[in-house]
Amino acid sequence: MTIETSSPMAAPQIDLSAPAAVPPWRLALRQFMKSPSGVAGAGMLLLIILVAVIGPSLYPVDPLDLVGAPFMPPDADAWFGTDYLGRDVLAGLIHGGRATLAVGAVAALITIAIGLVIGAVSGFFGGAIDAIMVKITEFFQILPPLLFAMVLVTLFGPKLTTITLAIGGVSWTSVARLTRAEFLRLRDLDFVKASRAAGASSANLILRVLLPNALPAVIVSATLAIGVAILFEGGLSFLGLGDPNVMSWGLMLGQNRNYILDAWWAVMFPGAAIFLAVLAISLVGDGLNDAINPRLRRRS
Amino acid sequence: MAFATHLARQIINAIALLTAVLVLNFCLIHLAPGDPVQVIAGEMGGASAEVVAALRAKYGLDQSLMQQLSIYLGNVAVGDFGYSYYFNQPVLGLILQRLPATLYLTLCALSAALAIGTMLGVVSARRPNGLFSHAVTVVSLAGYAAPIFWTGLLLLLLFGSVWPILPVVGMADVVNPKHGFAYVLDVGRHLVLPSLTLALVFIAQYSRLARVNMIEALSADYVRTARAKGLPEWLVVGKHALRNTLIPIVTVAGHQFGNLFAGAVLVETVFSWPGMGRLVFDSILRRDYPTLMAVLFFSALMVMTANIVTDMIYRLVDPRIRTGRR
Repeated sequence: MTIETSSPMAAPQIDLSAPAAVPPWRLALRQFMKSPSGVAGAGMLLLIILVAVIGPSLYPVDPLDLVGAPFMPPDADAWFGTDYLGRDVLAGLIHGGRATLAVGAVAALITIAIGLVIGAVSGFFGGAIDAIMVKITEFFQILPPLLFAMVLVTLFGPKLTTITLAIGGVSWTSVARLTRAEFLRLRDLDFVKASRAAGASSANLILRVLLPNALPAVIVSATLAIGVAILFEGGLSFLGLGDPNVMSWGLMLGQNRNYILDAWWAVMFPGAAIFLAVLAISLVGDGLNDAINPRLRRRS
Repeated sequence: MAFATHLARQIINAIALLTAVLVLNFCLIHLAPGDPVQVIAGEMGGASAEVVAALRAKYGLDQSLMQQLSIYLGNVAVGDFGYSYYFNQPVLGLILQRLPATLYLTLCALSAALAIGTMLGVVSARRPNGLFSHAVTVVSLAGYAAPIFWTGLLLLLLFGSVWPILPVVGMADVVNPKHGFAYVLDVGRHLVLPSLTLALVFIAQYSRLARVNMIEALSADYVRTARAKGLPEWLVVGKHALRNTLIPIVTVAGHQFGNLFAGAVLVETVFSWPGMGRLVFDSILRRDYPTLMAVLFFSALMVMTANIVTDMIYRLVDPRIRTGRR
């Protein structure tokens, strides 16, 4: 009796891989695109960044130059008027966006870096190291971040680098706590135990196994950290702690605020710019939150 | 008993952390560019040769750093936070003079934010997809994104020039009496705009928090039970669901005292409110470091106090924490 067998080579092809694996970031992006407010925020943010990047070459007026009489209201010559020294407010808005966004982005990066390192080390190693890290975090939590940044900038001088470092260095505690919590949660999951049993080193476990899985939870607060940093830059400049040599939205506000009753435009427009930038960032943050953290997706 | 032990442990922890703040202040004075004696005297202070010599002797600046630190901590322990050469008086006195104004402002703003924020959140949670709910979401996003000093300036412009019905500067009118009910009323009127400005940011946050928690509470079993018992809707929402909605809001509010205080610094600067925030602004302007450092310490002290009080309230309100271990 012959059983008709086909050679192994001719066996019917069974696809054992998962059906059309979609990378998680693609899923998140797809989900993000479904949120109208998130997309609107991303659009606004892109527009603001675009203006800051190419605006200065399209509108090459030096924001620190005196172009006319002080307190000139918005008109055909100066669309957004001039400030208390006679500087062009529109030029300030366009050029100042660069410094403001750069401070926001770099300070947020510093915040995330410090928060991730402290949170990761704390959550991964546990024990005495965790206890020390938690105490350090607790210590920084009792210092109001904006006030601490004010003290630092007053002591070390209002330069753009000092301001960025000060903002980044004071507001990392929530990222650290979030990262620690994620690491504690992930640490005892099976796939982590498996990697550990397979002989992965601590650095490998932290960077390759735990961090990628903790990132989704952190990414939203990373986004929001940019907004907070922009608000901080504004707050510091408002109190006279802006870098006087670099035009930024905060500096415009801070320098013109005493003349608000004479020239509302020199205060209102930069404030509105900060407001729109932070609004765009929080809309993106909300959209990301809904897209990345399905557990927290709004029930409404 | 467990409550008292817990409180005692909290206080010891607070003292340790506050001592650490003092050590930080000490380090900052020495890390700052320039001679520490100049930092202590303040750049704008009349640091004459005699003053400098006196400061060197007082803070033991020719001794080792550890000895200097112990002198510094010893001074603080007896209430000596240094001398403000700009204001020409001891720093402690300066701060104590201005503390009440800041407390009025922050507590007023906090109560307003808690009441309005919770109310907005609760009402919008009743119909999460309704028009009102969407409006609250938009307002809370805007409230979060608007820089607090900018909102303050907008209100100042509106009520100072366009529609002048509220005072926009200071804490009381010079011409009005400084005692009795008239004074309270006067301060109250001056308090409206600053506390509203400060409250707006927090209204935004609390309304979002209240909305989410209320939606969750309204779908919980105990609410279904309460409804099934035939309780009127206002009692179901106002008592059962609200209680569980309030717990996280109060916790967040208590732990945000630092942000509240930092916000007050900006708001006081906008409205010339004579509190600690205004003092911070003046000290920054005059590079009056001892005052600035002391304010940092006192703000940490207030944050710690707020944390402990919140924790205690939390324990009293939520029996699960009172009896069980966290």
